[in-house]
Amino acid sequence: MGVTVLQQYPVPENKTGTYVIELLTKRILALGATQQGQFLVDCESYLSLPQMGTTKTVHILHNSEQPASVFSILESGTKNIHVIADGLFDLLMMKLSQHYTSKKQTKIESKGPRFELGDFCVKIGSVTMNQNFKGILIEVEYRPCVMANAVWGLLREFLQGLLGPTIPVQPPQHLLSRMNEIYTPIDTVYQYLEHFSAYRKVTGLRIS
Amino acid sequence: MANSVNISIEAPIENQIQEITYDGQEIYQAPLSMSENLARLAQKIDFSKSDDEFCNIKKEGESNTDPKPDDDSKDANYQSSLWPWESVRNKLRNALTEVCVLADVLNIAKEKRYMVLDPVQPEQVDNRPMVQVYGRKKALGAAAAVLLAGVERLRASENMRINRNMPDFHIDLLRLRQNWRLKKVSNTIVGDLSYRTAGSKFSQTGVFEVTKAPEEQMMQAMSMNAAGPAPSALRVTVPPELQGVAFISVLCQKEQEEVVTATLSSSALSCPGTLPGDGADLHWQQKLEAAQNVLFCKELFARLAAEAVQLDASIPHMVVGNQIMATVLPGIQLLIGLCHNNGQNNANANPEGSRPEGAAGKSDHDHVLEHSLHQLLRAVHHSNTHHPFPHPATGPLGPSKRRCLAGPMAADRYELLDMSKEQSLLEQIIQQAQHFFMRRRSEYVLDTIAKEVKDPLIVSHWNALNSPTQSCVKINIMAYGYDAVCRTSLVVHVGEKTLKCICRDGKVRHLSYELQELRDLIYCQIYQHQMTAVQAVGRCMGWQLLASSSHLGSGPVEPLGNASSCLLASPTGDRMIAIRCEPSVGIQVFIAQSPRKDFFASELVQDKKWENLGGAFKEIKLDKMEGKNFLNKMELLMACLSSPT
Repeated sequence: MGVTVLQQYPVPENKTGTYVIELLTKRILALGATQQGQFLVDCESYLSLPQMGTTKTVHILHNSEQPASVFSILESGTKNIHVIADGLFDLLMMKLSQHYTSKKQTKIESKGPRFELGDFCVKIGSVTMNQNFKGILIEVEYRPCVMANAVWGLLREFLQGLLGPTIPVQPPQHLLSRMNEIYTPIDTVYQYLEHFSAYRKVTGLRIS
Repeated sequence: MANSVNISIEAPIENQIQEITYDGQEIYQAPLSMSENLARLAQKIDFSKSDDEFCNIKKEGESNTDPKPDDDSKDANYQSSLWPWESVRNKLRNALTEVCVLADVLNIAKEKRYMVLDPVQPEQVDNRPMVQVYGRKKALGAAAAVLLAGVERLRASENMRINRNMPDFHIDLLRLRQNWRLKKVSNTIVGDLSYRTAGSKFSQTGVFEVTKAPEEQMMQAMSMNAAGPAPSALRVTVPPELQGVAFISVLCQKEQEEVVTATLSSSALSCPGTLPGDGADLHWQQKLEAAQNVLFCKELFARLAAEAVQLDASIPHMVVGNQIMATVLPGIQLLIGLCHNNGQNNANANPEGSRPEGAAGKSDHDHVLEHSLHQLLRAVHHSNTHHPFPHPATGPLGPSKRRCLAGPMAADRYELLDMSKEQSLLEQIIQQAQHFFMRRRSEYVLDTIAKEVKDPLIVSHWNALNSPTQSCVKINIMAYGYDAVCRTSLVVHVGEKTLKCICRDGKVRHLSYELQELRDLIYCQIYQHQMTAVQAVGRCMGWQLLASSSHLGSGPVEPLGNASSCLLASPTGDRMIAIRCEPSVGIQVFIAQSPRKDFFASELVQDKKWENLGGAFKEIKLDKMEGKNFLNKMELLMACLSSPT
């Protein structure tokens, strides 16, 4: 498990998502990467019923990189509480359906090919919500390191080289306060949640 | 009756067995529901029979109408597959018809307009009471005779048993029941000797049958050894495939050129013929234990064979007949065979080749590895039944603790893949065999070096505690009498295919299974030790170390290691000792003196001061010197050179 940075890639006007993904795939393959299967990150959100007081949101995420785990993040006003559990947590959520209702129309996922290039692992995912294409997320992981601070420069250079100079590369909001802490899989999930929330807010394609 | 005995009768508890799966699990039929039960019972009712008993009047009166409903009911029986109540309905309908006809007949009879019923004088049965009494008496007498004969036989056998001190069947059965699983199936007693309850998943069943021993045999056995323990009244019958003796033979041998010869010589692994004593008069406990052992060996071998086929090793494992061949180290094979001798196989085993070779094979049989194999399978059984605590109430039972925690700890796919890998029994036993060879070879190397090299001494300590795949030896190199001055120690970890040497300077060297490498390393260590030791001795003697080099660039190229040297000066500074050590040649010692005591001025060297430049080195013949060992000689030499005279 290394440090992962998630970057949104804006789809230019008059271009389709598949075109951009093909372009990026060609670029990464030209660098010498090999494709290692597919990946999938999905997110489903549940709202608590009004009888329980203030409305809370529970996000349930799955990441194919941690196939045995279910990540859940409870948004309660100011603080986010996360729980990592095994696959049975999904069944538990079904049992809680009288307290938490699923917002089916906001089920969002990012999936696509997964590449390995030396110590880097690159995933090019197309984000879809209800089969509607919403944008492109690129995940880059540098596996030998667990401190974001130590590897951020390297990751930025790699991303800049891959995405081209027109894309601004900034450290993710979630990582800013955690640059000196040990990176864990839940940090990746938080990054996905950030982006997914942004995608849900806009209609149509996300520009920035 | 006053002293009546209450007898309670109840249906057997067990449901009917619907199916027995391959792993021996019995699937029971679900008990019938009330309606199903009613339908089943209703189908069983024989309406035609009840006709006979209760409707006699009608039958007599209307015999001409009778055959018809009977035929109908038979037809209905054949059609019953259509609908469960079909036959019942038909019979009810027939009954209704008959009742209607009866009602009509009664009406006609009651009206007395058309028909008058006259009582008919019944035919006189010849009623001779004495004949009946005699008949009954005779019948009762016959029944009583049968019962009495039975009682007499029982009493006689019981008396005979007590008189002759014969063992009691039921006591034996009780003892058997305490140690083995038994159950009664209809008229027979059947037991199970498989390891299934202990966690085995082997498909073969281990069913045996318990019967009573015939009396003649018991008598015979008792008369044969009157002093010995009483023979059992029990007779256990194990299935023929579990009879006899079996064991797993494990054999490590040098690879032979032809596979055929390897199999031939090892197929002759001899079994001890049968158990001591004939099959019949063997005690049931021993018999069952032997059968259980056969079953266990079969399971072990079946598992190993399956693994050998599945594993893709660089040199593929071979499974031929009841033998598995695996390559442990280049040139060394591990042969695992299943030897099962159950009386009948004796005929087809080749008698001519088996005897002499069998004896040789038996001596090579590796009991330690055989025991490890047994242990490994028992561990598998144990882990099948003992799941790590705590069991989550909702989670699946069976995965390891690590796997249980994998979800909450967010293990990634590589870790999960890692967890799913499980070492098979064959791999484990091959590793143990490899380690066994590595250990034996390194022992041999160390011992031969210790024999070859007398100076310095090489002492190796093997750790008493080791695992089946790892052990550790500490090697001390020191000279007799100088062990306090200098000693070199190194530790060698013997693994499965590699050696790990940790030297005195903290360097770690990984060596392969080629033991020449270990040999070379130890020789290098010996010469290194000599150089450091002579420096230490010099320091004790007050000599000064001028120069030392462990890797000399001069001289011929060494086959192993490098030549090393050092230069020592005496306390007064007028003598020097140079030592050169080449692993292939040995140790050479040179001395030089400057200034020489006597000086004669010549034309070239006119002043005595030039003598301080140092003189020519002269070699010393070490083997001519006195002293127990090299260090002792050097000490004497230094003492001699230090003295002012």
